[in-house]
Amino acid sequence: MTDKTDTDFDPDIHSASRSKRILRLSTFAITRILNRLRTPGARRITLTLVGVMIAIALMTTVSGVALGLATQSAVQGDNVDYWIVPETGDLNTIAVSTGQTRLGDTHRLTSRLTRNDRIQYATPVLSQVVPVQTQTSTTREYILLVGVVPPNGSNPTIASVPTEELTPGDPYFDANRSTDSWTGELIATQAAATVLNASTGETIMPAGTDQTFRITDVADSDLRTGVGAAPVALVHLSELQAITGAADGDTASQILVSSNSQRVRTTIEGIYPQTNVVTRTGFAGQTVSTSSLPVAMGIAAFVVALIVGVLFTATTMGLEITHDRQFIAILSAVGYTERSVGFVVALQVVTVCFIGGTVGALLGIGGIYATNIILAQTLSLPAPGIIDFRLIPYGIMTAVLIGILALPYPVWLARRTTITEALRL
Amino acid sequence: MINNTSIEEDYSESEPSNIAVACESVSREYSRGQGGFRQSETPTVTALDSISLQVTRGEFVGIAGPSGSGKSTLLHLLAALDTPTAGQVRISGTDTQALSARQRARLRARQVGIVFQRFYLLPSLSAQANVAVPLIEHGVGKRTRHERAETLLDRLGLGDRIDHKPGTLSGGEQQRVAIARALITDPDVLIADEPTGELDTATGDRVLDIFETVATDRAVILASHDHAALDRADRIIALRDGRRERND
Repeated sequence: MTDKTDTDFDPDIHSASRSKRILRLSTFAITRILNRLRTPGARRITLTLVGVMIAIALMTTVSGVALGLATQSAVQGDNVDYWIVPETGDLNTIAVSTGQTRLGDTHRLTSRLTRNDRIQYATPVLSQVVPVQTQTSTTREYILLVGVVPPNGSNPTIASVPTEELTPGDPYFDANRSTDSWTGELIATQAAATVLNASTGETIMPAGTDQTFRITDVADSDLRTGVGAAPVALVHLSELQAITGAADGDTASQILVSSNSQRVRTTIEGIYPQTNVVTRTGFAGQTVSTSSLPVAMGIAAFVVALIVGVLFTATTMGLEITHDRQFIAILSAVGYTERSVGFVVALQVVTVCFIGGTVGALLGIGGIYATNIILAQTLSLPAPGIIDFRLIPYGIMTAVLIGILALPYPVWLARRTTITEALRL
Repeated sequence: MINNTSIEEDYSESEPSNIAVACESVSREYSRGQGGFRQSETPTVTALDSISLQVTRGEFVGIAGPSGSGKSTLLHLLAALDTPTAGQVRISGTDTQALSARQRARLRARQVGIVFQRFYLLPSLSAQANVAVPLIEHGVGKRTRHERAETLLDRLGLGDRIDHKPGTLSGGEQQRVAIARALITDPDVLIADEPTGELDTATGDRVLDIFETVATDRAVILASHDHAALDRADRIIALRDGRRERND
């Protein structure tokens, strides 16, 4: 029936390559842990999965918010390669930029920058939330006014608003702030036009001043900040300075510089004492931060998720291995080496972390969306989080790292399992 | 009662190449407790004392003895799950004491099949997958694994149960799956500890039939309290207090 002569045993099975063995063991380990997850009584595995999932979800959400804060800390424009920001600049999202340290004498210094052949254009930027109303409306609405000096010869888009409908330069400043030279030109985004219920040609009256603006154009675009578009309008810098009291000292929040030359950075750094020059580098070209806070948030989220995840995974999977020592003993008894058993255990731990990390990263993306909605609806704050789908692989990789760092304890426990104690032979 | 006609004969004239497993003056002592800093005062227990035996291929040997007589310890040593504190155990000519833990695992994988009283099948895997588990360590592909497992299960009368999980099989069926798992790598030595301990008489008889059949070209060593099981053996080694009984 089953004697040695009629089992047709293939002696070649003993000489399978190492890579084939690893492949078969991997498939076995992954299949087994998936089967275990589907069967009732796998509480410790489920607990590990949920623990990693929560850690990664929180990390992804916080990272999304940190990324959002970092990205929103400067007004972006087409082809802008450098941002000159005050050295003492603190967290300054677009919407809360008032009260921050500002740069002074910005028109003169920007002109000096523009004279450099390697610089395509440069413009100071002042952003300020201003209460305004139209002639026909009875209520005031808050919109974000962004003051710029539109460059001659190029029409960049700044804060998602094209500058071409603004008169190049800054006529009001050039005429020593003579009333006759007030252009009153304002380009509104779709969101601003909707908030004000205004269209092209409408007069906009800022609160606390006699000066008015006229909507020159309503741009097709919007400045997106997560859950929705921010009401933004572009005006000349000196005119915004005039209505917000920033004319004294000719101040602005930052200066955008467009250049394709790497060497121009030294020139820019030398022009302004006590400033930082931020470049468009780093994660997704979005690491444009005037503050280390968002970076610190992101790093803290990563470190906390890693430490909590590793400790939690090591503990729960350790308990699982202790409970599952019969499985380990069976493998050892049928001839699995310690290394093979360790590999199976290790792969099971990493697989659980991988699944937890994948689900956690997706939940984290949902968390960013939820954070944006909650902040918008409860505190009327602009959405701080950015939904960047590259956070998903980031979360998964972190979860796998958690699994790898948590491995030594469960693998050590597996190695300590004695066959004769675990199995009654 | 143990059948006296099956008492071990003198195997000194056996062909060395035909010896599947052999012990020579094997003893096994265990330390009781951790001993702390005063290792020299750690009490020791002698589980086996100077046991010698040889089992040839094609032989079905029973190990008898009351609880605590050293049956399990002897099986551990014969299955290369443990090593003696004195003496020598040879499986297919290889001294297990001279091997590292990894080499002993390799030896088990190739030369030893083990059948447990409580089957110890993996509950989340089908009967076929359970039987194929040892072949994964050898790097055998899924298709070959499953073909071999299916063939073996079919020969053991479980052809219609290959997809069943252990929880849905009867005790006898589970033990037959465990036997198939032990045979899948075609070992020289098959070790079984109380294989009929959890089975009714009729089912136990069927399982013992299998052991008799597979003993034609490999050594089968079966430890049991059950006289019906021991009666099937070609000879019996009786243990008491870690020693072989004189007239076994």
